[in-house]
Amino acid sequence: MGTGRTWHDRHLGYLFVLPATLMLVAVLVFPAFITLKLSVTPEGGSGWNLTLIHYQNAFRDPVLLRTFKNTFAFVAWSLVGHFVLGLGLALALNQALPGQTFFRLIALVPWTIPDVIAGIIFRWVLNPINGSLNPLIRMLFPGFPAEFQWLSSPTLAFPAVIFANVWRGYPLVMVMLLAGLMAIPRELYEAAAVDGAGRLKRFLHVTLPGLSTIILIALALDMVWEFRRFALVLTMTGGGPGTLTEVLSTLVYKTYFQFFTFEYASAMAILMSVVLFVLSLPYIILVGRKQ
Amino acid sequence: MRHKRTLWTGLAIAAIAVTFLAFAVAPASAQVKIRFQTWHWGEKPVFYALEEFKNEFNKNNPGIEVVTDESRYGDKETVYIAQSQAKAAADIAHFMHRAIPLFAERGYIMDLTPFIEREGGQKWLAQWDQHALEVCKYKGKIYCINDYVNPLALLYNTQHFKEAGLDPNKPPTNPTELAEMAKKLTREGRYGIGLIGSRQEGLFMRFNPFLWGAGAEYLTPDNKRSALDTPEALEGFKAYVELFTKHKAVPPGVIEQGAQEVRTQVALEKVSMEIGVIQAPLIYKAINPNFKVDEVMAAAPIPSGKKRVSSVEYGLRVISAYTKHPEEAWKVYKSWISKEVQLRNFKIYGVMSARLDVKNSPDVQNHRFAKVFAAQGPYGKIEPMIPEWPKIGDAMITAVQEAFAGTKTSEQALKDAHIATNRALGVQ
Repeated sequence: MGTGRTWHDRHLGYLFVLPATLMLVAVLVFPAFITLKLSVTPEGGSGWNLTLIHYQNAFRDPVLLRTFKNTFAFVAWSLVGHFVLGLGLALALNQALPGQTFFRLIALVPWTIPDVIAGIIFRWVLNPINGSLNPLIRMLFPGFPAEFQWLSSPTLAFPAVIFANVWRGYPLVMVMLLAGLMAIPRELYEAAAVDGAGRLKRFLHVTLPGLSTIILIALALDMVWEFRRFALVLTMTGGGPGTLTEVLSTLVYKTYFQFFTFEYASAMAILMSVVLFVLSLPYIILVGRKQ
Repeated sequence: MRHKRTLWTGLAIAAIAVTFLAFAVAPASAQVKIRFQTWHWGEKPVFYALEEFKNEFNKNNPGIEVVTDESRYGDKETVYIAQSQAKAAADIAHFMHRAIPLFAERGYIMDLTPFIEREGGQKWLAQWDQHALEVCKYKGKIYCINDYVNPLALLYNTQHFKEAGLDPNKPPTNPTELAEMAKKLTREGRYGIGLIGSRQEGLFMRFNPFLWGAGAEYLTPDNKRSALDTPEALEGFKAYVELFTKHKAVPPGVIEQGAQEVRTQVALEKVSMEIGVIQAPLIYKAINPNFKVDEVMAAAPIPSGKKRVSSVEYGLRVISAYTKHPEEAWKVYKSWISKEVQLRNFKIYGVMSARLDVKNSPDVQNHRFAKVFAAQGPYGKIEPMIPEWPKIGDAMITAVQEAFAGTKTSEQALKDAHIATNRALGVQ
């Protein structure tokens, strides 16, 4: 006894997903395969004479190891900034206040600015001679040095880049958390208030548990994106002073397109992908469980 | 059955649409299009010279059309690599000399030897500055014919010299004098000299004369090992870095300063001296039309030290190894490097040709700035033309930035650059 569905009915769906599948193969699978193959090809070589020398070199490369450390610090501080600012603003914008929609839109503005533009804006703002930050600080604190160096300072360059990245990236976390906050039933807060819970207790025992899944998803996604952050760092500091603000994506770019060592850069990119995959496992597991 | 009919109808409509689109985007004529790639399409006044060349060539060569292909200076190599890997690079593309060994090694650019032989070989090539032509040669092949030469010179504000009690007819002749004068020129809101410290090619151009002038080299004569561990290298390194760290004669934020930022500071009279290119005076005028460049600014040889030396940069075009129209591309190429076009380019945007007949023409020899820059030609020197150079150069930029920022002493920064250079060369 058949189901009444013809061969054509059963397979029509494949035809519909074929263009998207082909597109994904072309823009994702094929480049990934080429990168993987390049990473095991001897420098300047071709064909199927494969080697693991680039991976061996990568594990011995002090610049790469230092850049990994920089990247982890960059990602960690960015996540902290995004979470603190995102949650704070989400809580504020969840209040029934006049002009709520306007403020929600304003808070989203940094998200609409491309990385390159954000990098250039911060570079201008922080410029010691023509920038706008130093005069602004001097208006508040007249004793502040007129030509204070931010991006040229070995101690302040990295925090400045992280600050710019926090500013540019917090809206995503904010929007996700705001959506989560709006989904928490008001009755829970009312019940907690009846039970005598103050603001802090309501936050700790109602808000945070209600947001826990969304926080995990938001931070997991954000971590993957911040790990790949490229244009902001490149335009703000180019990795300098020296290599103090170098992150993995800028190093891979430099190694590929400026040093012309395609094979070694590919090995770096594969290592970066492996680390990213491991870091995104909590998100993948969580999404898998939900499904 | 109905589903099947719908499917076939859908496929038939899609096929008709694709065919229609294919015809719609097909070229209207059989004219050969030559993509002429440069970052200058977006820059005035160079743009005017390019437009004039394009219109003139297209008018005189009905079968060929030169078409605009815009790149950006900062990522011109990145774009070209991606296009070459897709075998879709521009037919003719604009680079500086550093790109030649890298692109030649990867097979991205065409060996021009057969075309040159057809034009008359060495006799034909004798029209160009032979020193400049060397950068086009790699492993016995010739990949370009330079169109312009960019030697550097010291550009200084004579008015600032007078105000500081310095003789404007006696610019500095060595690094010590340079540092002394830069200090004297530095006062409230003004700095003696603008330096480049950001991660760009322009840094080498300004830094190299100090290194070479002290008698140092990047590499040993066989290009196999680093030669940065000499007292001369340290002397040259310090001469550059200490203008900022010790003499405080350079504006703050030097690590953030690129060529354009320095020119802007000169144009706004916040900086009195810079080591610059021949086009700089025109750029000052564009930045600040009120700045009386021709009256105030003067040019002099770079005060390099024991050895008189100038950095030089060679602008050139290459023909893609993947061009489908090599003959037509060569015709365009040859036209671009002709005397008429090169002389016109000098007149429009002040760039100095590698053609001897243009370089020695009265237009160049009688020009206030051009004659000084042209005189630097024989002292012009470039970095080692080896595929490892980008890594070595990057290590040197890192060292200069570390010394500027004070994270390392000059000694330590240069020592680390020496180690990184040897690592780049595969020296254990």
